[in-house]
Amino acid sequence: MPEWFLYFVALPMAMLVVCSAVYGLYWASKKGQLQELEAGSKVIFDAEEPEGVPTDHVLNQPKVATVKKA
Amino acid sequence: MASSLTASLSPSTSSDVAKRAELSAIDASTKVPTLFFLGSSVLWLLVGTLFALISSFKMHVPGFFGDIEWLTFGRARSLHLNAVIYGWAVNASFAVAFWLMARLSRAELRHAGLLLAAAIFWNIGVSIGMVGIAIGDSTSIEWLEFPVYATPILFVAYALVGAWAVITFRFGKAEHIYVSQWYLLAALFWFPWLYSVAQIMLIFEPTRGTVQSLVNWWFAHNVLGLWFTPIGLASIYYFLPKVLGKPIHSYYLSVLGFWSLAIFYNWAGVHHLIGGPVPVWVQTAGIAASFMMVVPVIVTGLNQHLTLVGASAALKYSPTLRFIVFGGVNYTLTSLAGSLMSMRSWSEVTHFTHYTVGHAHHGMYAFFTMVMFGSIYYILPRVLLKEWPSAKLISLHFWATAIGILLYVGVMSVAGIQQGLNSNTLPLDASGQYGSPMPFLEVMAMTIQWLELRTIAGIIIAIGHVAFAINFVWILVKARPAGVTEPTLFRNAPDLEVVR
Repeated sequence: MPEWFLYFVALPMAMLVVCSAVYGLYWASKKGQLQELEAGSKVIFDAEEPEGVPTDHVLNQPKVATVKKA
Repeated sequence: MASSLTASLSPSTSSDVAKRAELSAIDASTKVPTLFFLGSSVLWLLVGTLFALISSFKMHVPGFFGDIEWLTFGRARSLHLNAVIYGWAVNASFAVAFWLMARLSRAELRHAGLLLAAAIFWNIGVSIGMVGIAIGDSTSIEWLEFPVYATPILFVAYALVGAWAVITFRFGKAEHIYVSQWYLLAALFWFPWLYSVAQIMLIFEPTRGTVQSLVNWWFAHNVLGLWFTPIGLASIYYFLPKVLGKPIHSYYLSVLGFWSLAIFYNWAGVHHLIGGPVPVWVQTAGIAASFMMVVPVIVTGLNQHLTLVGASAALKYSPTLRFIVFGGVNYTLTSLAGSLMSMRSWSEVTHFTHYTVGHAHHGMYAFFTMVMFGSIYYILPRVLLKEWPSAKLISLHFWATAIGILLYVGVMSVAGIQQGLNSNTLPLDASGQYGSPMPFLEVMAMTIQWLELRTIAGIIIAIGHVAFAINFVWILVKARPAGVTEPTLFRNAPDLEVVR
């Protein structure tokens, strides 16, 4: 391993990764991604799959129906 | 939706302004690459399981396939590791990651051909690497055993996936970046850094002396922490609230968890070298970082627990939830155990013993693999527009893998502690004189009972994998039921259908 690789490639790459993380945080803050955080948790729901409706009930299906009807 | 790559790289100049896509349309657009990645991942899972069983048998029946060169322990064990990591886990995580990216970006999958090419390249690379290990060309560097002639192909495949992820993200219609996207983007960004630096510094132009082991463990530990962990957590943060139909308890905590993982994890790998010939301050920094990981782990664990509270009955019905919750709980447990293992006093007992092997499986299997199983149970029916054919096989898969892996981690932990304590403890006789520690071979002999139990655990897990593979092939070949026009019809239990 030539020494220049460490100083001129590996180290700058590591610094670049660190800087990009810092920039990512700055960008997120500037774009308002860190504002109103609790509202962000609801972006996965929409009209097609609304909040409050469970998905993926595969196992024991008849039992669910019985419980709900009772 | 067809558009040139250049247009995709710069959406602002593109005339192709897509409208917000429906989830079902997004799911359908991912079909071809999803099926290729998942199909290969299941195939590699079976191959990896076979080599796992062969290696496990060899630990207590040394003559088992002992005269077949390419099935000697050194090769069979490496074939197991590489098949399950680069074959199963990476293929599965690619499929899950881009399915999630497409859904969270609210954009139909663009350039599926790019992903398909990546999938083909990746699997050719893994196949060449596996043959390379089998014929004795392994590099002997843990987690990087694939010979040099296999890795460039893997890198090309990875570059294609990375390019695709950037395109999808830039074309996203979602205004808010959901926490899962943070994890996925970070993982897609971190992995090429880890892999390229490790390849160069260990294989192409190897560093000298102990720096090699530092780079090796920086890489191997970060593949877990900066690739598999973010993808596993991204899946949990999406599927847990999605299946329950309830947002995660605290979004604030999830973002805190992401950033603390990003800051601390990268330092932790050195704890594999505690007591080794690397500078003590480097080891201490690794221990400190390992303990700082308690922050994201507790935050994530608390968040998952509080989200599930009050809705845990859904565990009875949803295969995805069962696997995801099992994985989530084990993420917390294995990570906390990992922090404790980095303590010098703990490490001097368990280091270089079976305990570490148990811990590795706790993380990669009980956490990551189980989360991937859960994700696949959710994704595949939506991509194929048909439901899993057998709920019994899903149950068998869950219970076999859950019981199997807990037994595995349990027996390996006991074996490791027994190994460590017996090797370290000097017996004190009545006259106050210290004797010699137990001879190495006697310590070895003591562990045989645990190694046999490990094989039994492995067989139980293998039964689960076969059940999964049967169900997987079955869902692919079974006819789509008539009348189903959109996935919602089979998504919910009958009484939970959304009437529109």
